[in-house]
Amino acid sequence: MQVRIRTLVRGLWEDNPVFRLLIGLCPALAVTTAATYGMAMGLATSFVLICSSTIVSLLKNVIPRKVRIPSYIIIIATFVTIVDLVMDAFLPDLHSVLGLFIPLIVVNCLVLGRSEAFASKNTTMASIVDAIGMGIGFTWALTLLGAVREVFGMGTVFGLSVVWDGFVPWTIMSLPPGAFISLGVLVGLLNVIGRRLSERS
Amino acid sequence: MEIALIFLSAVFVNNFVLVRFLGICPFMGVSRQIETSLGMGLATTFVMVVASTVSWLIQNFILAPYNLPYLQNVAFILVIASMVQLVEMFINKASPSLYKAMGIFLPLITTNCAILGMALLLVMRSYSFGHSIIFGLGAGVGFTLALVLLAGIREELEFADIPDALKGAGIAFIIAGLLSMAFGGFAGLV
Amino acid sequence: MRESIRMVVVLAVIAMVSGAVLTQVYNYTYEIIQANLVRELEESVAEVLPNTVSMEILAGSAELLADNGPDDEDSILVLEGYDEDGSLLGFAYVTQSPGYGGPVKVLVGVSLEPYEILGVKVLDHAETPGLGTRIEEVSFREQFVGKTLDDPIELSNDIDSLTGATVSAAGVVNAVRDGLPRAIRTYEGRR
Repeated sequence: MQVRIRTLVRGLWEDNPVFRLLIGLCPALAVTTAATYGMAMGLATSFVLICSSTIVSLLKNVIPRKVRIPSYIIIIATFVTIVDLVMDAFLPDLHSVLGLFIPLIVVNCLVLGRSEAFASKNTTMASIVDAIGMGIGFTWALTLLGAVREVFGMGTVFGLSVVWDGFVPWTIMSLPPGAFISLGVLVGLLNVIGRRLSERS
Repeated sequence: MEIALIFLSAVFVNNFVLVRFLGICPFMGVSRQIETSLGMGLATTFVMVVASTVSWLIQNFILAPYNLPYLQNVAFILVIASMVQLVEMFINKASPSLYKAMGIFLPLITTNCAILGMALLLVMRSYSFGHSIIFGLGAGVGFTLALVLLAGIREELEFADIPDALKGAGIAFIIAGLLSMAFGGFAGLV
Repeated sequence: MRESIRMVVVLAVIAMVSGAVLTQVYNYTYEIIQANLVRELEESVAEVLPNTVSMEILAGSAELLADNGPDDEDSILVLEGYDEDGSLLGFAYVTQSPGYGGPVKVLVGVSLEPYEILGVKVLDHAETPGLGTRIEEVSFREQFVGKTLDDPIELSNDIDSLTGATVSAAGVVNAVRDGLPRAIRTYEGRR
């Protein structure tokens, strides 16, 4: 049980995909103009991650080593297409905002990376727990980045106004340069916090 | 004229890396030295051109006639993965010295979302065969340009006094942001 | 040898299962997605052609409505709008023209003869937030209301430009002006 909890928590902070491992950065930068979009992207990726990790770990003894990468890619691409179609049908507005980056979940290094490095070597239960941890880690990272950009770029968080009257939005935060700079500053800040925490303990 | 527009737009105005956020992982990962980043850029450009050709053919001769739009993602990523493998084997046989220079980057290219992104974009915009290849070439050149620019700056940064917390990834993102701002100046060019 | 057969079989089975699952999901979602597109268009048409409850496409490809449709400037979509009694209200057209960040796609509602513009809506654009996005504002769009073929429909002439967003505004103006005679021709050709 303790091992499980450690697997789960690892993706949240220590091995956070975005802030620590620096993977899955394309969607992290592209769709985080608002907290809602970051969160939606995070959840969509988590769904694919959890489903494909489950299937990969179930099939780990069936798939020959030499063709494992193409097999994983087909499995992942299938779940991605399902997410794409279902979102288009039931959440069309969100789907058109996330656009190209939904099909591109296929090449998110996070998903293929967890299949290859974890799910193909561990039990199904452990793989699911790992995927959930990584998924939550990815989702909160994107939500935080989206929230930061939304506050400065539009003066809102999740669409609710949080700034004083007369606040002039920093348009640059909604544009591509704002994405890079916010992420750079966040990575730096989290490094400082991480260091303080480890010094204290 | 249209060819020049497609090319310039992919390289500058809508630079794949700095404006469209495609291919960020290799952009951050392989941009420490100019030489390696140039190698990565050229290898990617090569695969881009091959992949644009093949995805156009698949889209127009298999997926569209048989009405299978929903298999697009699966088909493209599989083709790109096998193309990368083929290119790797071919270069290994044809020119071992080139393979030595480019070889280590090739497996990484499969998960470069700039390639799949390019393939999906050329279908969305229903480009003709010739335009698709130009678009692939422009995407690759734009990727190389961004990568080499960042590498050039990062090489100089080795000697700069950067706050500890920003060393490595943090400062690289901020520089990429500044580069992206500079590329913003190209908007309206096309 | 046995190993390679196993490789092929496993890959083929995975690919077949994947194809089967996707076909099911696609068939299930297809109609919902199409219905969403039609509803979205109906809502937009009702905005530029007041009281429209149903419509009929006269000419052009509905692909123009997709998020990343063709960049082609010649493409135009013309449709008729009817009110709840089934009487013809006028027609609307969708067309595009280059803006600052990419094509600007507009939907324009036109009355029956003498063909007066009733409303303009910007459907899709990639303009700079805060500057170019002001083409969506009502104060800019309502300048087109009442214009006919006899008006110049020109920036800084009968349409006031937007400070700091001249190229974006020109995109809208060009699309509206160039589309109008073509849409009228299409409409009259079908009558």
